[in-house]
Amino acid sequence: MTDKDVFICRCEEITLAEIEQAIDEGFVTVNDVKRRTRAGMGLCQGRTCGKQIARIIAQKTGIPLESLLPGTTRSPVRTEKMEIFKGEQDV
Amino acid sequence: MTEHFDVIIIGGGIVGLSSAYYLGLKGKKILILEAGGFGHGSSGSCDDMILLQSKKPGINLRLSLESLELYRQLVNDWGVEELEFLNLGGMILIQNQQELSIMEDFVQQQQKIGLDVTIVDKNEMKSLQPYVSDRFIASTYSNMDSQVNPFSVMRGFLTRIKKMGGEVRFYSPVKSLQKKASGSWIVKTSKDDEYYSDVIVNTAGAWAGEIGKMVGEEIPVSPKKGQLVITEKVPSLGKTNLWSASYMVTKLRPDLAKDNSPDNGIGLGFSFTRTTDGNYLIGSTREKAGFAKQNSYEALRAVVSQAVDFLPVLNEVHFIRTIAGFRPASVDGKFILGEHKSVPGFFTAAGHEGDGIAMAPVTGKILSEMVAGENNKQDYSELSPDRFKLQSTDNERVFNVVGSKR
Repeated sequence: MTDKDVFICRCEEITLAEIEQAIDEGFVTVNDVKRRTRAGMGLCQGRTCGKQIARIIAQKTGIPLESLLPGTTRSPVRTEKMEIFKGEQDV
Repeated sequence: MTEHFDVIIIGGGIVGLSSAYYLGLKGKKILILEAGGFGHGSSGSCDDMILLQSKKPGINLRLSLESLELYRQLVNDWGVEELEFLNLGGMILIQNQQELSIMEDFVQQQQKIGLDVTIVDKNEMKSLQPYVSDRFIASTYSNMDSQVNPFSVMRGFLTRIKKMGGEVRFYSPVKSLQKKASGSWIVKTSKDDEYYSDVIVNTAGAWAGEIGKMVGEEIPVSPKKGQLVITEKVPSLGKTNLWSASYMVTKLRPDLAKDNSPDNGIGLGFSFTRTTDGNYLIGSTREKAGFAKQNSYEALRAVVSQAVDFLPVLNEVHFIRTIAGFRPASVDGKFILGEHKSVPGFFTAAGHEGDGIAMAPVTGKILSEMVAGENNKQDYSELSPDRFKLQSTDNERVFNVVGSKR
């Protein structure tokens, strides 16, 4: 196993090599890398890998890290069972 | 140095990419200008279906059958894995006798056009879908409904467009369109880049109207927000993907729409599709909410509550994400495809509402033939951008379809 085989996105098992390939193809935002590779689409929704991916993009492209926006966050904040709305009254 | 292209395509979603692909196959030199990034618009915020059963008999069903054939050709050329093409079939769940008789009639019309679809009784429904609620009395079944991963399709088009020498610029919103005396177009982006072309193709989806305004054309496409929920990966919960007849019935027979539906004006429908990765995509709403892309608690609750009601096993399943996208809705439920009569060299291919993924290949292929001046002997006047007539009053603008043939 080489460094390139390391999983950056553990949920979806996306390796450093795959992230770097996407960057080489011109996908140079956290959202674009996600849409190209699935990195960040898993259970943790990029909470673990998002910052690492931003760092990899910055290192590889020279884009300043602080100008790379984090991926879009949407509800739910953490995964929830779908029963969660049961019995809730109309508001 | 200003570059000249045969065709400049405005909008790099699945319809724009498909158009570029088929134009590229005809040897055209292509530039795509996309306002956002890859899959930033509706094509990246939708479900994954090539759903035939929801199509009204007529041009929509006919073209979606052709589009499925084109997807099969792409599968043949690129390989099934690249497109993540699946053919799981689909079922539309029926709750009562009224829905049953409307769906029986609908299914009969679809069969005449060549769709392989039937109604199955409760026993057969349960054997295919053991987890659906007992409230359903029957269902439709078609083995033709299929799906692809929209991101994979778009990436496949993108790679091949570039291989054929086409160019794609992301984050390049178009600011203005002008026609020179020579007849060629000058396209300016908000970065102040300038490009020339013989032909403009407007594939801007929900934003197609904005592009139309730049050449003085009214294109009646408006955004309808669709919110979906994505589950964790779980084992398969049934043989096919699922929809509910209640939503189909409100589309087919709006006069029967019930007042007691849990809709609250968010256009709630039910779709339940399994991705190749094992997540379920559950939808969906159709809301008039302008271009506000936020997810709402109300819609999330409505979509999830309906899903656990229809498939109680989902109570135990986690949802991990919500998404929202703008379905580009044209006023008459048919998409827009063709050259604008009063603006030669300006084509629109937009307004697919919920059918963009399904219709992308056939749209791109027909568009490429139109731009190349080939006549494939089919009549597409039903889709013409010139079919709308603007009727303005003081407070509202109403589009009517002129000379529509049925």
